Amino acid sequence: MTASTARLAERWERPDLKPPRPRIAVETLAGSWKKTNDKQQWIDSVIVDTEGDALYVTIFGSAPPSPPSWGRKRAEVLYSGGIGTGDTRAGAFTAHYRFDDFDVEVQANLNLGLLVVATFVTFRNAGPLSDRFTREFFYRAIEGNQS
Amino acid sequence: MTVTAPVVTGLDPGVLVGDWRNTNAEGSIARIVCTLHDGGSIDVRAYGRYDGTPADWGSVPASVYAFTFEERAAGAFSARFELGEARVDLQANVKLGVLVVVELITFLDGSGRSHFFDREFFHQVKR
Repeated sequence: MTASTARLAERWERPDLKPPRPRIAVETLAGSWKKTNDKQQWIDSVIVDTEGDALYVTIFGSAPPSPPSWGRKRAEVLYSGGIGTGDTRAGAFTAHYRFDDFDVEVQANLNLGLLVVATFVTFRNAGPLSDRFTREFFYRAIEGNQS
Repeated sequence: MTVTAPVVTGLDPGVLVGDWRNTNAEGSIARIVCTLHDGGSIDVRAYGRYDGTPADWGSVPASVYAFTFEERAAGAFSARFELGEARVDLQANVKLGVLVVVELITFLDGSGRSHFFDREFFHQVKR
């Protein structure tokens, strides 16, 4: 095995990693997150809170057609920053929102202390608006479950 | 991996179509090929690199997205690869000519491997 493939193996192939999986450190993602952009955008702010091993996200829209309050959703999958760790300092989560006219797949990840939030907006029926991808940045205004 | 019915969309995915190579020779995915179909849908074929050798993950239909609600040009896609022991969701967008790809790897086996997040960058070699 070369040094290169050894690094790849570290990322993908770890048969030596026996269950259970490491606990995902959901608390690292918790906080009240505000948009870094002064202008209106798709999402204004995000609250991430935790209950035990579960992570919940609450999203507030910035400008129509983004709803003013998206509600609180439990994250569907939590991702660590590496195959053998539960560390989420470079981790991510996904959540799904369903509105009257469209669905939104949310993917958020931590990157150098910022919460990077991507959304995939899919309209259920053809209309004047296109399905849309957004990627926006948020800084942590309040730490942890104090939001 | 089998191709199911492509997702029909009114967006123009031209900027996504082509042969994309990882800028990192040690990346998890070596190559991504986006193919255009009649009707504007695209299929995405990925070549993973589990063991250092590119392995064909097959081709799957992708959903495409614009950068604004008003645009008709797609600049992003999402695609899901079911690889047996793992599910890989790719979320990609073109920025300044670079395909920025988020990889969400979910392990479906009973191993102790953590689901993990990664991001890689691809340049286009042929359109």
